Amino acid sequence: MTTLRTLFADTSGRSTVTIIAVLAVCAALCTVPFFVHNPYLLHIMILIFLSTIMGESWNILGGYTGQYSVGHAAYFGTGAYATMMMLQFRQVAPWYGVWVGLAAALVVALVIGSICFRLRGPYFVLASIAVAEILRLCTLNLPSFTNGAEGILATGLPPFTIGETVITDFSTKVPFYYIGLALALLTILVTWLVQHSKLGYFFQAIREDQDAAHSLGISLTLYKNIALVISAMLTSLAGSFYAIYVGFVDPPTVMALDISVQIVLICIIGGIGTIFGPVIGALVLVPLSEALRSNLIASLIFKIGLVSPDSKFGGFLNDNLAHAHTLIYGILVVIVILFMPDGILGFLKKLTARRKGGEA
Amino acid sequence: MAILEIKHVSKFFGGLAANADVSFALEQGMIMGLIGPNGAGKTTLFNCITGYYPPSKGEVLFDGRRMNGLQPNKVCKLGMARTWQKVRPLAKLSVLDNVMVGALCRTNSLKIAGELAMEQLKVVRLEQKARFPAGGLPIGERKKLEVARVLATQPKLLLLDEVMGGLNPAESAEIIQLILDIKGRGITQMVIEHDMKAIMRISDRIVVLNSGEKLAEGNPHEVVSNPDVIAAYLGQD
Repeated sequence: MTTLRTLFADTSGRSTVTIIAVLAVCAALCTVPFFVHNPYLLHIMILIFLSTIMGESWNILGGYTGQYSVGHAAYFGTGAYATMMMLQFRQVAPWYGVWVGLAAALVVALVIGSICFRLRGPYFVLASIAVAEILRLCTLNLPSFTNGAEGILATGLPPFTIGETVITDFSTKVPFYYIGLALALLTILVTWLVQHSKLGYFFQAIREDQDAAHSLGISLTLYKNIALVISAMLTSLAGSFYAIYVGFVDPPTVMALDISVQIVLICIIGGIGTIFGPVIGALVLVPLSEALRSNLIASLIFKIGLVSPDSKFGGFLNDNLAHAHTLIYGILVVIVILFMPDGILGFLKKLTARRKGGEA
Repeated sequence: MAILEIKHVSKFFGGLAANADVSFALEQGMIMGLIGPNGAGKTTLFNCITGYYPPSKGEVLFDGRRMNGLQPNKVCKLGMARTWQKVRPLAKLSVLDNVMVGALCRTNSLKIAGELAMEQLKVVRLEQKARFPAGGLPIGERKKLEVARVLATQPKLLLLDEVMGGLNPAESAEIIQLILDIKGRGITQMVIEHDMKAIMRISDRIVVLNSGEKLAEGNPHEVVSNPDVIAAYLGQD
């Protein structure tokens, strides 16, 4: 426990302020379901939590250790499938199934790590994509094991009980809200612990210069695999949570390449290698993608009177803008990356630093 | 007793012999200078000794232990640390954090590592810059940071690859004093250097490499008066 004590002894005044702010935000978030009853708003919040979990998990491997995996769908899918298969095929409640998912993710991570960490830089990225695709194709083509392309539909969740008391029967979104919040906080806590320990130093040393790290006594294989395992297990948690929330998994929704890319984007947009970067990424990307998908942009254009909905162009926008949401989303992401290479958090930090510099 | 023995080490890249049958030994506490024209195989020899390349032939004994095939991290743990000709600061980390990474090789406690690191920063007189990002340091201070970082791994043997390269005379003088201070602490050193004046001053013994082979070995005075060495440096007519 000495390490934990030194952790807190090392905490500077600024960190204390951050901790208090985080606790206050958490307390506020806990009360949200008491006055927000709109299921769509809760759904958005749950998606933000889910994205935060995914982003924070990837961040440990990609942001801190500098190993840009674009195959995290493998772990997301592993968690989702393990939980769902235990639930539907073995009638095991998801809160036990999650552990199966974690164990499976651990095994998959060690296999992938032993293959991919022989490679560096772009070769590692390509290998991580390839291995995730192999896993997706296996899931798709082993129908006797995974139900193949049909996917698995949850026919119902058992109520969560402690003793005889029913805590929740999962009939509303509120229990999912709290689970998502708890998991998001867990991943943030894990990231914080990593950053403030020997692991954090070694991970970042590997990110900055592998050969230098190696010459300073850091075993590259060991510490890259530790980062991967932590990252994979947390991602698998996100997958399990997604599976029980949505109640359906199939290879394209939980194993596909766009999940991997989405995970990376959350970090890049928010700010890579920082504790709160992925939170900001999730806060920006989830509402943006929802707004584009549900045609809020077209409605906004009509509302401010830029184009009349009755005109020919207005009709075109109304019909097509929502369909083009991936295109617009992509363009916006490119713009953010071009103008804020360190992510939104890095950009804000630079702005405040410049302002401080200006005053002095 | 010899702390490091290099026995008939050769390293081939395809048909090219970067090191050919090099043998010499370092005594505990001494400073060994390793010199030679560009492309003589000095850095390759460092890489063979510290585990970055496996030697094609021959063996490296450190404290009587065979080092061939050991990974660089193991080599460092056993007490042999190196710096890089092209400095490799962990750019986004602070100066103190850079040195702490080295110190964490010997301890698990961040607090102890922080204290050890600060000590080393004082040794190289960089303690004022502890909180600066390492990527922003000028070259002279980067070289010092490199030395502080390897010192923090508490080595018995230090291999310095051109720590004075690219420095102005005042900075070089500081590094020379630093190397002598390190010797005073009982740490054995092997130094690659092009600055002949510096190498003559600090070295107890000098090995000259040329085209991968050992051309000469001896104390500084013997080496500079060796006709082969003069021919290698100035050319033959």
